[in-house]
Amino acid sequence: MKRVVERLLNLLAFLLTTGRPVSADEIRLTVAGYDQDNDEAFRRMFERDKDLLRTMGIPVELRPTDAWEVEFGYVVPRDEYELPDPGLTDEERAALWLSAQVVRLGGQPSGPDALLKLGGGAMSGAGEPLAADLGESAESLAVVFQAITERRVLGFAYRGRSRRVHPYGLLHQRGHWYLVGAEHGEVRAYRVDRGSHYSVEGPSQAFERPDGFRLRDALPSLPWQAGEEDLEAVVRFDADVAWWARRQLAEPATEQPDGSLEARIHVANPAAFIGWLLAFEDHAEIIGPPELRSQLLELVRGRKR
Amino acid sequence: MSKTARRLTRILSMVPWVIANQGASVAEVCGRFGYTERDLLEDLNLVFVCGLPGYGPGDLMVAYVENDEVIVDMAEYFSRPLRLTPAEALGLLASGSALVSTSQAPEALERAVAKLATAFGIRPDEAVVVDLAGEPTLVQLLREGVAEARVVTLTYTSLGKGETRRRLVEPWSVFSTLGNWYLSGFCRTAGGERVFRVDRIQEARLTDESFTPPPEPPPPEVRYTPSEDDVRATIGLGERARWVADYYPVDVLSDSGSEMVIEFSAGDASVAARLLLRLGTDGRLIEGPETGAALEDLRGRILARYRDR
Repeated sequence: MKRVVERLLNLLAFLLTTGRPVSADEIRLTVAGYDQDNDEAFRRMFERDKDLLRTMGIPVELRPTDAWEVEFGYVVPRDEYELPDPGLTDEERAALWLSAQVVRLGGQPSGPDALLKLGGGAMSGAGEPLAADLGESAESLAVVFQAITERRVLGFAYRGRSRRVHPYGLLHQRGHWYLVGAEHGEVRAYRVDRGSHYSVEGPSQAFERPDGFRLRDALPSLPWQAGEEDLEAVVRFDADVAWWARRQLAEPATEQPDGSLEARIHVANPAAFIGWLLAFEDHAEIIGPPELRSQLLELVRGRKR
Repeated sequence: MSKTARRLTRILSMVPWVIANQGASVAEVCGRFGYTERDLLEDLNLVFVCGLPGYGPGDLMVAYVENDEVIVDMAEYFSRPLRLTPAEALGLLASGSALVSTSQAPEALERAVAKLATAFGIRPDEAVVVDLAGEPTLVQLLREGVAEARVVTLTYTSLGKGETRRRLVEPWSVFSTLGNWYLSGFCRTAGGERVFRVDRIQEARLTDESFTPPPEPPPPEVRYTPSEDDVRATIGLGERARWVADYYPVDVLSDSGSEMVIEFSAGDASVAARLLLRLGTDGRLIEGPETGAALEDLRGRILARYRDR
């Protein structure tokens, strides 16, 4: 391993300092560790090294060596290689380390390597008794995040169609990651795990986020608030489940003399609302409107979704 | 990442820091970058023989330890650390913002998240927003139980039978996943390890009794611990009901594309019954007599209630 690391350090030092793209042949002749007798052996070695640097996030780019684009060579642009200094204090680094321990993305603590890059620090200590898992699809999320930070078009497949979206932000709510962005000028939210084949496309700084745009406003906080309908449901919750209804509702509810609760609830997605209400079994009842009531009854009778 | 990539990442992080902090002690560099003294010396020796073509004394980097001070020089091209990958940056930002959203985070974390976001050219609190499941009031109390290792009593009401049940639980951890808060621990009433959804707990109280927590509590995750008393049901899921397999811990028995067949287990038949009722024609019960009976009972009770008016 020692020789491989030496070779990689030499290669990286060279590609960071030449200031011009250098061909594979030039690298073979110039950089210590690459002077192989055999073409095939050199090619394999160089490919492996390039891949390894790229998995570390090092931008090894292929660019034409002259204006006629006859020959191509490699370069590592320094401004893309270097970390802009966030200026973290040791205390702030330690706080980041702890938060990465207690809140994880895809089950993995993010970060020993990331924190080394940020200047290391005391990476020890147990988390507070709080732990959260932000769910899977970490790979798709990284692509989405890259498109957001570089303000580039994000391409992906969603509900059987391929999309090209200006990505504004990522929102984690109710256990899922949502991408909020504009497709043909219309802002909407996409559940990241429902999409696939995410790719970053086109040049950077391709769009601006609208003034006053707020990510949180793009997604309602209760599932039945996300939809096209506009109903006001009147629901009676029995006294024995009143505590549970009150805990979940956004609207205030009126307590009746017998301890039961009457609530007026704004419903934009009736199916999601009924699905939620069924958890109360026969301890809650839709008083109105009649169409919502019959929609629930049809579902219970097993006739329709 | 491979071992080679790890080692290289650490070198490319340590070198710029030492350049910016000339004369730092061996112990400080080791502590900061997780090195043993021997490994640090090995990496410095390695850096010492690398550099630019020519590879003569003026071309190689300088790296050594003198009087317990770490010195690196002639390495101007490595004077800044390597940029974070998008995955690394998102990981740090997401976990940081999540903790900030619980309002339990130290101020240093809020500052760190803001600085990181700015370094990535995004406005903090705008491009990545993490709302952990709205924290139920009980979470705070249960967390106290975990921290003080005190036994808690949990009160539940079963809707079907209308009876109130109590459980005595030794709480191990409180965590959020899949959009809900959970408590894991040893349930004395059931005599086994259990995971409870916090929003389903009607009431929780701390008792005065303490317990000895396990030396290594299991990782916080919603896992299904099979038990003899569990009610099992085989359920077919139509296309619009496939989310069930992501949402509940189930075994997928087969998947033809148009129908996914799962085995659903829970401590109580009413869980699967409520699910089936909600799925309507998108789900069907293939096998599970107890669940079938619970479903009919549930249907009957709801229809009876709506008929009364």
